[in-house]
Amino acid sequence: MSFGKWLIQSSVNHPRGVAGAMLLVTLALALCVAVPTLWPGIIPLPPVRVDTDPENMLDSEEPVRVFHNDMKRAFALSEIIVVGVVNDTHPEGVFNPETLGRVHALTEYAKTLRGSELGLDDPQAGVVTIDIIAPSTVDNIEQGGPGEVKFEWLMPGPPETQEEALAVRDRASKIPFLKGTMVSDSGKALALYLPITSKDLSYRIYTKLRAKLAELGGDDEWHITGLPVANDTFGVEMFIQMAISAPLAMLVIFLLMLYFFRKPVLIIAPMILALVIVIINMALLVVTGNTIHIMSSMIPIFIMPISILDSIHILSEFFESYQKFKDRRKTIVHVMDNLFSAMLYTSLTSAAGFASLAITPIPPVQIFGIFVAIGVMLAWLLTVTFLPAYVMLLPERSLEKFGASAQKEEAEAAAGRTLLGRILAGLGHFSYAQARVVLLIAVLLSAFAVYGISRIQVNDNPTRWFKASHPIRVADRVLNEHFGGTYMAYLTLAPESSEENAGAYARDLEMRLRDRIVESDIPEAARPALTTLADAVPEEAAKASSPDALVDTMKARVETGLNGALDAMMKAPETDTGAEALVEAWEAVSLFVDMESQRDEVFKQPEALAYIERIQAALADTGVVGKSNSLADIVKTVYRELMEGDAAYFRIPDSARAVAQCLITYESSHRPHDIGHFVTHDYRNTSLWVQLKSGNNQDMKFVQEKMDAYIAANPPPLGLKHRWFGLTYINVVWQEKMVIGMLQSFLGSFLIVLMMMIILFRSGLWGLLSMIPLTVTIGFIYGMVGLVGKDYDMPVAVLSSLTLGLAVDFAIHFLSRARDLYGPDGNWKDVYPVMFGEPSRAIVRNVIAVAIGFTPLLAAPLVPYNTVGVFMAAILGVSGVATLFILPALIRYAEPLLFPKNKVCRITCHCGTCIVTGAVAAAAVAVNVQQFLNTSWTTLTLISLGVVAASAAGCYLMSRRRTCLAPASESVEEI
Amino acid sequence: MKLFSVIALLFLAVTVLWTPMGHTEEAPTVDEIITKTNQTAYYQGQDGRAQVKMTITDQQGNTREREFVILRKNMDDKNEEQHFYVYFKNPADVREMVFMVWKHVGKDDDRWMYLPALDVVRQIASSDKRTSFVGSTFFYEDVSGRSLLEDTHELVETTDNYYVIKNTPKNPATVEFDSFTMHIHKTTFIPVKVEYEKGGKVYRTVEARKVDTISGFPTVTQSSMKDLNLGTETTLDYEKVEYNIGIPENIFTERFMRRAPRQYLE
Repeated sequence: MSFGKWLIQSSVNHPRGVAGAMLLVTLALALCVAVPTLWPGIIPLPPVRVDTDPENMLDSEEPVRVFHNDMKRAFALSEIIVVGVVNDTHPEGVFNPETLGRVHALTEYAKTLRGSELGLDDPQAGVVTIDIIAPSTVDNIEQGGPGEVKFEWLMPGPPETQEEALAVRDRASKIPFLKGTMVSDSGKALALYLPITSKDLSYRIYTKLRAKLAELGGDDEWHITGLPVANDTFGVEMFIQMAISAPLAMLVIFLLMLYFFRKPVLIIAPMILALVIVIINMALLVVTGNTIHIMSSMIPIFIMPISILDSIHILSEFFESYQKFKDRRKTIVHVMDNLFSAMLYTSLTSAAGFASLAITPIPPVQIFGIFVAIGVMLAWLLTVTFLPAYVMLLPERSLEKFGASAQKEEAEAAAGRTLLGRILAGLGHFSYAQARVVLLIAVLLSAFAVYGISRIQVNDNPTRWFKASHPIRVADRVLNEHFGGTYMAYLTLAPESSEENAGAYARDLEMRLRDRIVESDIPEAARPALTTLADAVPEEAAKASSPDALVDTMKARVETGLNGALDAMMKAPETDTGAEALVEAWEAVSLFVDMESQRDEVFKQPEALAYIERIQAALADTGVVGKSNSLADIVKTVYRELMEGDAAYFRIPDSARAVAQCLITYESSHRPHDIGHFVTHDYRNTSLWVQLKSGNNQDMKFVQEKMDAYIAANPPPLGLKHRWFGLTYINVVWQEKMVIGMLQSFLGSFLIVLMMMIILFRSGLWGLLSMIPLTVTIGFIYGMVGLVGKDYDMPVAVLSSLTLGLAVDFAIHFLSRARDLYGPDGNWKDVYPVMFGEPSRAIVRNVIAVAIGFTPLLAAPLVPYNTVGVFMAAILGVSGVATLFILPALIRYAEPLLFPKNKVCRITCHCGTCIVTGAVAAAAVAVNVQQFLNTSWTTLTLISLGVVAASAAGCYLMSRRRTCLAPASESVEEI
Repeated sequence: MKLFSVIALLFLAVTVLWTPMGHTEEAPTVDEIITKTNQTAYYQGQDGRAQVKMTITDQQGNTREREFVILRKNMDDKNEEQHFYVYFKNPADVREMVFMVWKHVGKDDDRWMYLPALDVVRQIASSDKRTSFVGSTFFYEDVSGRSLLEDTHELVETTDNYYVIKNTPKNPATVEFDSFTMHIHKTTFIPVKVEYEKGGKVYRTVEARKVDTISGFPTVTQSSMKDLNLGTETTLDYEKVEYNIGIPENIFTERFMRRAPRQYLE
């Protein structure tokens, strides 16, 4: 403890220096952030950068993201803002002239939302006007007169009569692409889809749209949603919360401390400390070039309680003992001596809990873990230096009456008169007298918790990060009631690029060519010449370097034949119909051979489109997908309208040429580029738009698994392979990584904390004992999560590390004080009443301060903030109760084991402790290393088992050493 | 863009011998300019034929090619009634497809499509002419010609080489632009550059990139349309352009859509 003593002595001796240095560093760092942010370019440091995109939960090089971006580019797809309108007052819903007039006006307004209108330099940035889906921007295709196909804007202008308004609905309902997407199945509501060039513009556009809607008036109900809006809005509100919740929590904690210690001048210190730590920590984050992500924005909220915990322990002890010494220097030195190692270890365990997040595969979580860990250690350092310094800076007389009332109380009776004192004394007695009951309850609760944990639902949904009453949540609910779904995922199909087998192709070509020649439209007279052509295929194939080269030589042969036939026809008399028939036969074969060059265009092939159709049916069968759109839908719709609107033709045409001709007909509309959203220009990659009714990751995962199974059971034609992309899908990918990553990092840090406890107490048994309140707390909290049905989402997952770091704190304080008080020849019966005096009061004060201090978080409109608030209270409350009940009860029964009369404290002499340490170390290394190397569990398990065996052997030998034998022979007892 | 104007000018220089209006001392009126331009762009000769190669470049920079033959016949001498016949040759899957137009002034055009794989001829009705021409950046109206009656015309500038005419639609609801400005070459009356603007921004540009004199007619042999909103560009290369070849009127009927008139298409 010499380092600790030196540290505290120097702080007490140079209070001004310590305080000055701290303020100087804080100011300097704050400037390093403020200057580049407010005046970019003056100093070469990064400014504050904010990133609220959940996509960044994955590394930008992550294959799923790379694919997502490649596909977005290939299909020219954008993220989408969904604007829905519902009208409950009009009998036809929104299909009345007034509402449609407003829809038209809003669409026209949305078209202007780009470039300078949004304050952007790039004139194309903002709403992608050409891809807006709205009644006035999509085409209608329907029958005109007999034999006439009509193409026109679905709603060229605002309708003037009710009939016109209903016509808009009826036309749209006949177009599969629009029904359930733009027009609700009920025919009462409308949705507009506004694609945007970049997700981070959504909040700006959202705000502008809402302002415009307010201006438009009317009795319609408008809703705006979509994942980009949810993400961007969350980001904005998150920063508002940072500015509201954190200071509010500080205020509440200040008031509570004022109530406990009644000395504003003293409790100002922890407040200053918390502020300084948050500033230094966040400044370090920014200065090192990190962006402030959703995760890192929560750093202050996490660091504050941790920094305040230590301060409360010190103040509490200072408060209790000042009157004993009546000298601030002596008191503070005494207090720091008492608490130094407990505080160091609580900080180290908290830091370890968070630092373990650095091994999760999610970059923002890594940053978060590392910086909270830094913050925790910083908090410890400043607490043990600045607090003593601050006390020294206070004039002695200002402390005159400090803790006086407590002193009087102590003097009167151990039980004390205050409510807290009495309750704690009773509690101490109960946990001693009824130890059996306490332990039984603990075991029962743990069993219950295990059951709860088994029911945990892993699921996240960025929309649900808002409270149910938030406009975005309301919009989400209403729109997904009416429409096919506002959550987009995309399923791509593409053939695996594999080398065509030239020989097989030639044989196939020859066979098909022979079949073609004997078809009825080829006259008998033409067949001999054409058969010669087919005969030439094997010979040409032998010479050709590739199937394409073969097709080219065949083309050349056909051209020669066709030209010959043409010449013959020119020379023949006009009456000779045979010559012309010959030309036509050559033309037919020319077409056949030329079509071979297009054989790679997979998604013009009817069988490929038919497979898309089947996939869509399977998607609909999942029950989670509200609607899907595909190239097949476009082809079928156009085919039907070309065949006089006959419903029997709402199917895939029979030939690739028919498909191509339906597509070129569609391309003659106002929106030819729509096709490019469903198929790439080479017709080798298609995307199905899958609309999900919820953003729940488990729903997306369900669809993904169902489709994997369907495709495995129904192998696609033409060697097609499927793959997902889209934001909804990306969320699933990072969630899976997160759950597994968090679990491993939690296991890893649990073991590390256990190891630290063993080292702290120099005993395996004490180490395990100190982990009990923590284990019960975690079990209880996550058991409740499972029982209540709260989804295990990103905030809940991250909070597990906070739980780990905080829940062990009370046990450390309790056990280290207990051991000190017990002394060499103590007796638990005499020690526990003292333990339920000052040490327990410090714990309870902490529980109350932090639990109540964070209640302002419950009022935040963002669910993750609420979750943090509830968790803080739960962690401290449960671990406090677990520490105060279970530990004394256990100590009562384990007293002889815990306090052996053996004085040798060398870790290596205790065989049991030694083996436990070795096993824990091996397991910790294994768990942590596994995340870095992708070694399978089995190998690592074997290795770690080997290490455990080796260390056990080592421990056995070590404990048999002569030095260990000296004082007593009961060193194996602890197993 | 400048480069292309220069190229266009070079070609134009070859054609100065042929002067459309003689060397009038007086500057022509706006009406004279646009009437002459309309004649040059769409009505030269009694009839005409061209083999067209269409290259469509999409947003991602991929290109697709289509080849077709256009037959055109003037049906009166007032530069109004006109028939078009577009026969698709490539890619193979749309071969034999025919798009036919009877263009009218003052009422909607009649348009038909023959789709051989579906074996149907369908009349195409459309509320407006500003739909894509077979998936290209050009609109149907760019290919068939926009009626002079639809806009008011204003000569905004006369440069050394060009008349700059601003055209504003009389019925703005039917079109997606606010106005378009034509740069008309003074001697040939070829619209070398046309720019469409909406909300004060040019978003769509046509350029005549190559001009040849064929049978005495200054003829655009390469033109290109760019759409900044769509990010696409389409280039039309006119090959084997011929005038006054004597295409019979009955070619422009459903019978010949289904049975292509081979001798007029080669």
